[in-house]
Amino acid sequence: MTAVKDTVEQVAGLEKYEHGFVTDIEQEFAPRGLNRDTVAFISAKKGEPDWMLAWRLEAFERWSAMESPDWARVSFPPIDYQDATYYAAPRTGGGPLSLDEVDPELLKTYEKLGIPLREQEVLAGVVGAPRYAVDAVFDSVSVVTTFKKELAEVGVIFCSMSEAVREHPELVRKYLGTVVPVTDNFFACLNSAVFSDGSFVYVPPGVRCPMELSTYFRINAAGSGQFERTLIIADKGAYVSYLEGCTAPMRDENQLHAAVVELILLEDAEIKYSTVQNWYPGDPETGKGGIYNFVTKRADCRGDRSRVSWTQVETGSAITWKYPSCVLRGRESVGEFYSIAITNGRQQADTGTKMIHLGEGTRSRIISKGISAGRSSNTYRGLVSAHPKAKGARNFTQCDSLLIGKACAAHTVPYIEARNGACTFEHEATTTRLSEDQLFYVQQRGLSEEEAVQLLVNGFVREVLQELPMEFAVEAQKLVAISLEGSVG
Amino acid sequence: MNLAEAIRLRDPSRLPSRRDENWRWTDLRSLVRTLPEASPVLDSGRLGSGPFEGICVTVVTLANGVGPGAIEVSAGETRTLALRNVSRGEGSHAAHLRITVAAGARLTLLESHEGDGGGLSLLSLEVDLAAGASCERLVIADGGVDAISLVDADIRLGAGAEWGQTLLTNGARRQRLETRVLNPGDGASVRLDGVYVLSGRSHADLTSSVTHSGPQGQTVQLARGVVDDQARAVFQGRITVETGADGTDARMAHNALILSDRAEVDARPELEIYADDVACAHGATVGALDAELLFYMRQRGLPEAEARSLLLASFLGEVIDRIQCAAAAGRMRGWLQGRIGGSVE
Repeated sequence: MTAVKDTVEQVAGLEKYEHGFVTDIEQEFAPRGLNRDTVAFISAKKGEPDWMLAWRLEAFERWSAMESPDWARVSFPPIDYQDATYYAAPRTGGGPLSLDEVDPELLKTYEKLGIPLREQEVLAGVVGAPRYAVDAVFDSVSVVTTFKKELAEVGVIFCSMSEAVREHPELVRKYLGTVVPVTDNFFACLNSAVFSDGSFVYVPPGVRCPMELSTYFRINAAGSGQFERTLIIADKGAYVSYLEGCTAPMRDENQLHAAVVELILLEDAEIKYSTVQNWYPGDPETGKGGIYNFVTKRADCRGDRSRVSWTQVETGSAITWKYPSCVLRGRESVGEFYSIAITNGRQQADTGTKMIHLGEGTRSRIISKGISAGRSSNTYRGLVSAHPKAKGARNFTQCDSLLIGKACAAHTVPYIEARNGACTFEHEATTTRLSEDQLFYVQQRGLSEEEAVQLLVNGFVREVLQELPMEFAVEAQKLVAISLEGSVG
Repeated sequence: MNLAEAIRLRDPSRLPSRRDENWRWTDLRSLVRTLPEASPVLDSGRLGSGPFEGICVTVVTLANGVGPGAIEVSAGETRTLALRNVSRGEGSHAAHLRITVAAGARLTLLESHEGDGGGLSLLSLEVDLAAGASCERLVIADGGVDAISLVDADIRLGAGAEWGQTLLTNGARRQRLETRVLNPGDGASVRLDGVYVLSGRSHADLTSSVTHSGPQGQTVQLARGVVDDQARAVFQGRITVETGADGTDARMAHNALILSDRAEVDARPELEIYADDVACAHGATVGALDAELLFYMRQRGLPEAEARSLLLASFLGEVIDRIQCAAAAGRMRGWLQGRIGGSVE
């Protein structure tokens, strides 16, 4: 009950989008526009080796010949890719810095966001409290990565992508682009050409990462996009839990966020990847501004018995276009997808997952909860496929949609492809509105209509919230409450 | 996408391909490189008897696309009509038939698709049901394993009208049975059922879309099928609830059994909802015959083949049970029985 009380208080005390501030900080930008020079500029800024530049340039050439996809149930005016900045960095020199050198304005930003960058503060907390290693990405660069030393002691590499390209080129070359190929899709290809920063994680064989790793992404500069690239490798028998959070200031323009996340799992490895996405959703009345979140996330379970789990809470962004997927290649590998997608105002979300069963005895589970309110549109789109060799493949999918209000829309578009006689797929989906009986009952007990809605919605999404690490779950629950503000009455 | 036009102009580039999202699992363009010549005229007196022979007095025949263009059922009338769509030879043809059922009238439409050649045929049906009218459309699609057969139906219902449909098919070289229904609500109800039994290299595609445009409409859908050998079944069902269509109750289920390692089932059950006071649900399952059930039955002394057909019969029989016209249901059971062995009760 404390969590519910917490939520109710939170709702009462919060503005509509609390992360909408802009940090006034000295920054340097790449020249506006996108061409070979921009790509070379980004690569030079990051001090990258030649092979990386060549890789980027090849991606750029391929991208130039591609067309923006139009199959998703979202609509937006054509994006002018020449009218944006592809690199923005706080002007304090490139590369990761020690915390003391970081611009205090920036630290204040993270403080406002409630992100524990200062290790000592985290350590000063209650004994036994969970600890998080944080990689903070501000516009195009990673500003700081904490707990690196402690992680290095057990062999875990956790650093920014730019640093990984310099320090661990053998690992990056071996794995980068092997899960999401350069030409996978329009936005992934764009990302391959201009990606700026992101996290790199390598967990060596048999190591259970001693703490949760997390990254906070923030878009700050106007007229810029963010193109981060994350690569996580869990070697044989390794385990890591990774959290990702994102925010952006309130602006009238649309900003593009086109990230690529690649997860690689070898035998018996396990990765738990959680996202709380809270990009600025745009003005709820006019639909002006907000982030276009066009993201490609994919996990490749290469090893037998490997296990990957995606958990996402999608509350922000003007448009979400995102399908975290699992390629279940190893025998008896397991993929899981737990999602809460909330749209309000004029938001549009087209999100879901792909479970591609290639190996024998592979299993997957999809739990998706979509909530639409205001004048928004929320689509679940998913694929479950079993190839002829995937004998004994199993999938269970449950997609529930909840509608709040007369002007919103909810869609379910699952694709099922079964190509052998020994697989078992089950899919069920429901679409309903909040039960009037339940609302009445709760209001009768003294809760206001808005509080009653929060409570019922929290119950609706509980199955997914339970999958999140503790700290994130609390944050996510608050977010759910805030996102639905103003959707009643 | 106009299939009739593609056939008329003999232009294969107008056929849908896998790049068209709605046809991704039923690619016609890669299959039909050149469209065959127009089919010859058949002697309608030598077409033998159809699967619903003897149940009804009126029989309407479309022979290689040639036949009447319109059928009318007048107000208050109750009619049972057999519609035979017969395709012979290797040619291509397209037919269009418009059926109007006036207020309060009842029509039982017993439709059969028969044939033997490897030709390409298209039948486009347009059916209008006035307020309070009802129609039960029962279809046996058995047009031969070499045919490319397309049946396309556009159904428009009046207030309180009732549409019932059961499709039975054993597929073809490529086959698509598509039904689009406009449900205006106001008590109108729709039942869209289907059964496929596929073997060899057969392909069958059951595609449907129901649009609820007004409040208080109902749709129920149950599709079941069995695929063996290298056959491929496709099920695509979309239910759209437009703004203002509150009080809609729509339920869809698709269950498939795969009996061999090389068979394939592709399904896409879709919900598209723009109103909030609705109850919509769909379920889809794909799996093999339950080994434990088989084991149990064999233990009780049933030979394996008999146990299998018994299980299939009960699985598919549930769809047949929903048919109103008892005489036609009997024929359809018999037809199924011939394909799975055993008796469908």
